[in-house]
Amino acid sequence: MSTLRMHQPLTPWLFLAPALLVLGVFFVGSAIQVVHYSFTRYSAFAPPEYVGLDNYAALLSDRIFWRAIGNSFIYLLVTPVLLVLSLAAALIIDSGIRGGKPLRILLFLPVVTPTIVAAIAWRLVLNEDSGLLNQGISLLFGWAGVDGIRWLTEHPYTLFSAMMVTAWKGFGFYMMIFLAGLMLVPSSTKEAAAIDGAGPWGVFRHVTLPSLRPTITLIAVISSISALKVFDELFVTVRGVPVDQQTGVPYIYDLAFEQGAFGAACAAGVVLFAIILVFSLINLRLSSGGKERA
Amino acid sequence: MNATTRHPGWTMAAYAAAVFFIVLAIGPAIWLVVGAFQSTEADLNTLSGPWTTRNFEEAVSEGGLGIAAINSVIVTLARAGLNVLLAALAAYPLARLSFRGRDAVFILVLATTMIPEQVIVVPMFKIAAGLGLYDALAGAVIPFSVSAFGIFLCRQAFLAIPRDLEEAAWIDGAGSLRIWWSVMLPLAMPSLALLALFSVIGAWSDLLWPLIILQSEHKFTLPVAINRMLDLFATNPRVAYAASVLAIVPIVVFFLAVQRWLKPELFGGAVKG
Repeated sequence: MSTLRMHQPLTPWLFLAPALLVLGVFFVGSAIQVVHYSFTRYSAFAPPEYVGLDNYAALLSDRIFWRAIGNSFIYLLVTPVLLVLSLAAALIIDSGIRGGKPLRILLFLPVVTPTIVAAIAWRLVLNEDSGLLNQGISLLFGWAGVDGIRWLTEHPYTLFSAMMVTAWKGFGFYMMIFLAGLMLVPSSTKEAAAIDGAGPWGVFRHVTLPSLRPTITLIAVISSISALKVFDELFVTVRGVPVDQQTGVPYIYDLAFEQGAFGAACAAGVVLFAIILVFSLINLRLSSGGKERA
Repeated sequence: MNATTRHPGWTMAAYAAAVFFIVLAIGPAIWLVVGAFQSTEADLNTLSGPWTTRNFEEAVSEGGLGIAAINSVIVTLARAGLNVLLAALAAYPLARLSFRGRDAVFILVLATTMIPEQVIVVPMFKIAAGLGLYDALAGAVIPFSVSAFGIFLCRQAFLAIPRDLEEAAWIDGAGSLRIWWSVMLPLAMPSLALLALFSVIGAWSDLLWPLIILQSEHKFTLPVAINRMLDLFATNPRVAYAASVLAIVPIVVFFLAVQRWLKPELFGGAVKG
């Protein structure tokens, strides 16, 4: 081990340089600049000019912004859906049914599908006049006068529509993490429980689920962070819906690149950043906790 | 080994649920594919003809699909290649060399995982533009040519490699670069492959950043071109369906070719960082 220390003093930095340059310039640099610009009046047409807390004051009284942030929190409802879908899929594959491996590959296909393609496909399923979902709804509930939901135009259904795309595109990824977690469940414990007379549900409830707790928490946090960062799904699935019916990132995009209000967009970015940071810190805590246990 | 297999009722339920998931995973794509081949007078609900390849022709001739596909391939390969290379380079000293400032660098890298690109797109756009990357394919590549996640993944993989192998190479007179290349990289291959797979998927799908940084139509990547087609062919969305079908084919073929790289056990390390 001591021999490995005998390297030129510059060697580690040469290895690190390209990555640190990119991360430093584009991520750390942008993170510093976003705070700086948030205190300026800055548009696509004029250079930044210091205005103190004006952008933040304007945001605080901007109802559209608060609705967008509120919608970001509603969007967190996608997390339990993702948890249930991905855990169920992982349990099926892990249950020892035939064709588990091909099934695993097949259920990963939505993950590799570009989000814009997923959104366009779901727009067809969600089409208000002719989509499969509304056809099903009018078939089942037509007698009660319900013949369809305005999935693509009416708030908050528009949010749910985008969430369907997020859930569809994401569950295969989290399924893989659950499969990794399931590998750590000791099969001896499962067998012991089964011998003691526990049925499949009992084994799941008392052995599998408790040992999956760290995985569940981790996925809940990661998918919540992703949900707060969502853009593509809303931008494409519910195209043209007013910004106050969308979430934080579409709001920032609209402010910056449709209206050219860079300074205000940066202030909104800082606020969303702070919200996401809470979740990131929880994640950091969990993952360092996980490392200590491992 | 498994309790479920011993209970016929549960086995049945598992197969039924598997069918549900299969339908869920590939169902939406059916409408897309059918829509892509239908002519304008066909009814999408009935999933019936008349059939045509006109939508594809229009996507190529008027939607710029061909050039967009080439751009997407270039951007994706460059992003994935650089992600693996830069992450593997950076991870080596973090995992194996001892030097002053290592902990500080590691914390800095850790911190960048907490900076979501979506909230910093404005300054990132200004910085990229300042470097002459506006409306250049390189602009779609360079800011995302490495990720903290990739560095972690590689570091985890390097940490799991026994030290004796390096020491043997060291004694044989190999330098750090040589050890990295001929000892570390081959042994970390499963993680590097997983990183490559994720980078390809991410780059092929990316919409927000290319949408911001690319301006000219002939520089568009597939998602940006498809996004434009949704507006351009608003009266005949089947052109965008055709483009969407063509956008999934390469990525699905690629994934099926390398699906053995996707090992669930690697995800355990990936999420634990």
